[in-house]
Amino acid sequence: MGYLMAGIIQLAVIIVLAPLVNGIIKKIKALSQKRKGAPLLQLYYDLYKLMKKDMVISETASWIFRVTPYIVMSSVLLAALLIPLSIQLQPIRFMGDVILVVYLLALGRFFMALTGLDTASTFGGMGSSREMMISSLIEPSLLVAVFTVGLLAGSTSVYDMMQNSTLTGLAIFQPVYILTFLALFIVLIAETARIPVDDPATHLELTMVHEAMLLEYSGRYLALMELSAAIKQLLLITILVNLFIPLDEFFHIVNPIMMLGVSLLGYLVKVVAIAVLIAIVEIKTVKLRLFSVPNLAALSFILALLGFFQYWIIGR
Amino acid sequence: MSSTISGLTFLMLALYGLAAVAALVFYRHPKLANVIPNIITIVAAFTGTTASIIHLLSDANRIYLGNLITSVPYLSFELSMDRLSAFFILVLSILTLAVSIYSIGYLTHYYQRRNVGLFNFLVNLFILAMAGVLLSENMIAFLLSWELMSLLSYFLVIYEAEEAGNQRAGLIYLIMTHLAGAFLFIAMGLIYKSCGSLALSSTLAGAPVWVKNLLFCCFLIAFGTKAGIIPLHIWLPYAHPAAPSNVSAYMSGIMLKIAIYGFIRFVFGMLGAEFQWWGTALLIIGLFTTILGAAYTLVEHNIKRLLAYCSIENIGIILIGLGVACLAFSTGQLLISALALTATLFHLLNHTVVKGLLFMGAGAVLHTTHTKDMENLGGLLKRMPITGVFMLMGSLAISAIPPFNGFVSEWLTLQALFVYIANATSGIKVLLIMTLAALAMAGSFAAASFVKFFGISFLGLPRSENAAKAKEVPQTMLWGMGLLAGLSLLLGILPLVMVRLLDQVVVGVTGATLSSSLRGSSFMMYYPVTVMKNSLTPSTVLIIGIILVITVWLIVRILSWHGKEREYGTWDCGFNGLNARMQYSATGFSKPLRIIFRALYRPNREFEVEPGVSVYFPKSVHYDTTTEPVFEKYLYLPISGALTGFARKFRMIVQTGSIHRYLIYILVTILLLLLYFRCFS
Repeated sequence: MGYLMAGIIQLAVIIVLAPLVNGIIKKIKALSQKRKGAPLLQLYYDLYKLMKKDMVISETASWIFRVTPYIVMSSVLLAALLIPLSIQLQPIRFMGDVILVVYLLALGRFFMALTGLDTASTFGGMGSSREMMISSLIEPSLLVAVFTVGLLAGSTSVYDMMQNSTLTGLAIFQPVYILTFLALFIVLIAETARIPVDDPATHLELTMVHEAMLLEYSGRYLALMELSAAIKQLLLITILVNLFIPLDEFFHIVNPIMMLGVSLLGYLVKVVAIAVLIAIVEIKTVKLRLFSVPNLAALSFILALLGFFQYWIIGR
Repeated sequence: MSSTISGLTFLMLALYGLAAVAALVFYRHPKLANVIPNIITIVAAFTGTTASIIHLLSDANRIYLGNLITSVPYLSFELSMDRLSAFFILVLSILTLAVSIYSIGYLTHYYQRRNVGLFNFLVNLFILAMAGVLLSENMIAFLLSWELMSLLSYFLVIYEAEEAGNQRAGLIYLIMTHLAGAFLFIAMGLIYKSCGSLALSSTLAGAPVWVKNLLFCCFLIAFGTKAGIIPLHIWLPYAHPAAPSNVSAYMSGIMLKIAIYGFIRFVFGMLGAEFQWWGTALLIIGLFTTILGAAYTLVEHNIKRLLAYCSIENIGIILIGLGVACLAFSTGQLLISALALTATLFHLLNHTVVKGLLFMGAGAVLHTTHTKDMENLGGLLKRMPITGVFMLMGSLAISAIPPFNGFVSEWLTLQALFVYIANATSGIKVLLIMTLAALAMAGSFAAASFVKFFGISFLGLPRSENAAKAKEVPQTMLWGMGLLAGLSLLLGILPLVMVRLLDQVVVGVTGATLSSSLRGSSFMMYYPVTVMKNSLTPSTVLIIGIILVITVWLIVRILSWHGKEREYGTWDCGFNGLNARMQYSATGFSKPLRIIFRALYRPNREFEVEPGVSVYFPKSVHYDTTTEPVFEKYLYLPISGALTGFARKFRMIVQTGSIHRYLIYILVTILLLLLYFRCFS
């Protein structure tokens, strides 16, 4: 299958699926509170509506404010091209590896933090300051965890890592993978601004991290920012499920198209499972004080480091 | 071929000399003393670039340039250029080219106030001295140029001598640089003692182990002080804010790297990097320098001091690369060593380009707003649009964000770490993974610092009158910055061009080549170990990225065809209008991290409230927070206190002022010398 085809399938699936994940998480939370909750597809309606709306742009804002939505969106889409949804989809592998993914997400974050400061609003500055703080704390454990998985596979390319996990069998049942999985799960929660690090449902100053930076956005720019946040979340989930829970080895279908279909279906199931997990964490925990976040980050780092020690001592 | 190269190199040296002379000749006419020497410098830098590129492309490794032998024994100056020197000459020339274009505009604000001719004289001699260090073939020439470089840069640091604090900054720099010089002299003595030659190309293969270890320690302290490793870094945060911005660009951009050159030259070339603990020591020092440098960058709100700490961080990254190269070299894994050294040298070049750009930008901000304090800046992007774009590019590049050059060298460094973790002996692995964590954290700290740097100074509302009245800087300054900004992007998109040149240099040092792993079309980079094919193609990433931006833009435009845009004030919570004081300040921005790492920063707060009618309406509030300079307070002040105390006591006993005692001292000295002469020769 050509790179182009693979790339288009990747992007299409990720863009279409991303808002659904938010819908699932919200629905489960609502059900746990004995509410009916918003429809599963609410974010799609929201995005469509936002696209049609007029925009109000701050007088103080510079051109940074206008280009950021596009840069953030493109950076997550570029990252999406580097993380195969299924082992059947060979991405443009000479383009880059997991390190590039991490730094592409950093590109988006950099611009998002700049727009927080661009409008001269207090909330924006608060958001950018906290976002940069959380990312600084979480970055070491992200890289250590990813490197450990990479060392097991002998490569930093996401595709190679996936292939290695597939060969190992259900990777998640090995201690080193369990530890790194947990480390990366905490990274996922911190990076996607979820409880216990941030609360996506409120707009209180106390919880303002991600939402604070987007406060001045409206209309289509807001739609882009919301969609790219959803895509970023799905990307991190994809890394988790595809590295740790490879399912493809259970199916042996000769027809490549059928195989791809089955594989993507498996992927969908896995994503829903992680979404449920996130929702359970959101239900079961409370928002941490901002200055307790370092403890969580330290926990994640220690888990990643233990994972590495496991690799170091046992060698696999 | 080699005659062309040596001819061009001599031409370059002569032109720098000529520029210095021209600056003195025209010193009465500020305009001439500014323009003419700078144009000559530009030509010289261009010549230097050409010469070094020709050298790197040619087959010749070492080209002998000539010598000057005096009748005094040992006092001879020999010059030669091998590929390592050629690479550093290239780095020096690129920076000089940009900075001298920039200086034409920057120096205008010294007209009538200061002697511009003197400035240009010193700068050109300074560059000449740096070129001298790089081209020296024997130690006498090396030491002489090294000391000249240190002294001339001291004069440049205190160029604005009467401004508060500058003299003290210069003094600290002078003391530290002499510390470096002293250890260098000890090292030279040891080398001459053990191999009997003053040539830099001599090897110490047969020397005893303790001599090699001692030499390594000397070099570590000497070059480490100059490069600014922690805890020998204390001069850097003082010297950079004091020096004029173009001098800061030279000092941070290339002078720190000259120390790295010395290190590679002596430790790899002369000592042969044979012990594992050397590499380990480098790694540990690099780790601490990186993380502490980044941490101090974060809380700084003087733009030039922020950049100085950032240089310390990057020197740490360079040392990490060098440490991996050294370790792999000592265990015989030459390919990994070559990869790590490539990463190191590439990062070094990138840092020169980007830090030069950022210091010039800081100079541009200083030029129009007359302030270095970020708390007084803001909203400059609208007032200085082009400088703003260049500074944004620089900020992205220094934070290692694609598609700029910083990312490529960070990627290479991480790859070197990755492959070495996979192949290292087991104990080192733990250190390496900690290094990785430190690099990751320092990287995000750098990103946070530069979000602050750009966001606070260039975005939002201006925080002072001066910032509100800021205007775009003269064209020459823009050209200087633009050159480096463009280069930064170019090196980020087409890194392979540079990596191939670097490979030539690295072969000379480690003996291994990466060329078999640089495959595919010319923009592709492959990992040198063929089993694992990790690759990066920044040009493809950029092209696909641009396609994505355009597609997203088109789709969004089509979907929101009827959407209108309206400009309105930022949400001010319903109060009467937004003002600059409601924005986040630079101090506020780094507050969360300052609280989390308060054990490191030990912040001191001053909080004074002048009471008004009621506690809720104070007349004025003064809030100031400073971080404690840990190293100065707990390391340097005790040492200097003890030294001065000792000197004072010593004076009481020995130097009493009585002429009789002095006569006895002279007599005793003569007797001892005679005795020595009698017994030992």
